[in-house]
Amino acid sequence: MHNLNFSVLLEYWPAIVAGLQMTIKISALSILCGTLMGLAGALAKVSRLRLLRAAGVLYVEWIRNTPLLIQILFIYFGLGVFLPLTPFTASVFALSLFSGAYITEIIRAGIESIQKGQREAALSLGMTDRQAMFLVILPQAVRRILPPLVGQFISLTKDSSLVSVIAVSELTYVAKNIVTVTFRAFEVWLAIAGFYFVLSFALSYSIRNLEYRLARSD
Amino acid sequence: MTEVHKRFGRLEVLKGVSLRVAKGEVVVVLGPSGSGKSTLLRSINGLETIDSGSIVVDGLKVHDSRETLYRVRQLTGMVFQQFNLFPHRTVLQNITMAPMHVQKKSRQEAEEIARRLLHKVGLPDKADVYPSKLSGGQQQRVAIGRALAMNPKVMLFDEPTSALDPELIKEVLDVMKDLAKDGMTMIVVSHEIGFAKEVADKVLFLDQGLKVEEASAEQFFRNPTHERTKLFLSKILL
Repeated sequence: MHNLNFSVLLEYWPAIVAGLQMTIKISALSILCGTLMGLAGALAKVSRLRLLRAAGVLYVEWIRNTPLLIQILFIYFGLGVFLPLTPFTASVFALSLFSGAYITEIIRAGIESIQKGQREAALSLGMTDRQAMFLVILPQAVRRILPPLVGQFISLTKDSSLVSVIAVSELTYVAKNIVTVTFRAFEVWLAIAGFYFVLSFALSYSIRNLEYRLARSD
Repeated sequence: MTEVHKRFGRLEVLKGVSLRVAKGEVVVVLGPSGSGKSTLLRSINGLETIDSGSIVVDGLKVHDSRETLYRVRQLTGMVFQQFNLFPHRTVLQNITMAPMHVQKKSRQEAEEIARRLLHKVGLPDKADVYPSKLSGGQQQRVAIGRALAMNPKVMLFDEPTSALDPELIKEVLDVMKDLAKDGMTMIVVSHEIGFAKEVADKVLFLDQGLKVEEASAEQFFRNPTHERTKLFLSKILL
């Protein structure tokens, strides 16, 4: 009978905290960059210019139909041949690119859900297409897409565990090392799952508050 | 506006409609649904493109270029059937948005204009509420104020009372009548015969994309010349 011993967690606590911090750092940066890429992608997909629309489709379809793990490996080892990528920058790049494709679709759907009368009202007041988009359509779309957007942020946080394959010392990588040394697989992986749960849950909880504040005008 | 043609695919919606509206004139456009009256109105500020013919507003050819399109839109105010207020902004912000971002007026100046217009449309105490808290009639009055904030030379009304409960129609029509009295040039697509009789200088009757009749309001209602007009009037003037 295997005896459970959770004290290994205390023993390796500083390493775990460092890993947790790295996971938060990578996730936060990737959420930010991924959202910007998603916004760019969505604007491209609703653009009047066919070339931009085609580029948007190509981006989304290419990313969504290949595995994230392969994308991470390709960016770090493949593009790494030509670009001076550290494991950290490669991770943020891969995760942003990946989540950006999904966020593109979320934002595009949000934009298209706003009645066309809103755009027409803005144009009839003399606004340019850009002003209509940024002053009238996007602010309304953001409210609607917040729930799926948060879902995407949570997925991203969990998917960040995959970058352990390129030796970024985030939570999963740290855990793997601890298990290798201590053989306490059950205790360590259970605890690590708990950390991911807390991260994801805190994220959805904080955004739910934001959603509530935004909903006041409706 | 001369010889305007417009088609949606194989359906020709406007089959060469011409119209001249003088400064200060109020023109009411009548016609059965599908007659092209909304399309006609929406092509005046370029929300619809046209296939041939030309539309000139205050010397500017609307569909000439992007440049003239934006200038025409600043000269024309439009009021929609569904109000189309911006739900994420307060009433005051709805009105100040275009003056601030399009005309680059200061916030202070834009707010002065907005408050004056809210007074004019009878809603001075609603500046800080969100549109969803207003009745349809109030929303439409705000929408009129929002269009007026750009100080337009022409106001276009696209069935402004069609989405309203009957008891809310009057408050909107009263605002429109005041506007007409102030000498605003107005083109109104509407089924409000009472309004047309009382305020219109000219009535235009469209059917199947063609101008059937154009006459002074008095002539139009008392003595229409075309059979199609008589038939239409007999149906709506029960």
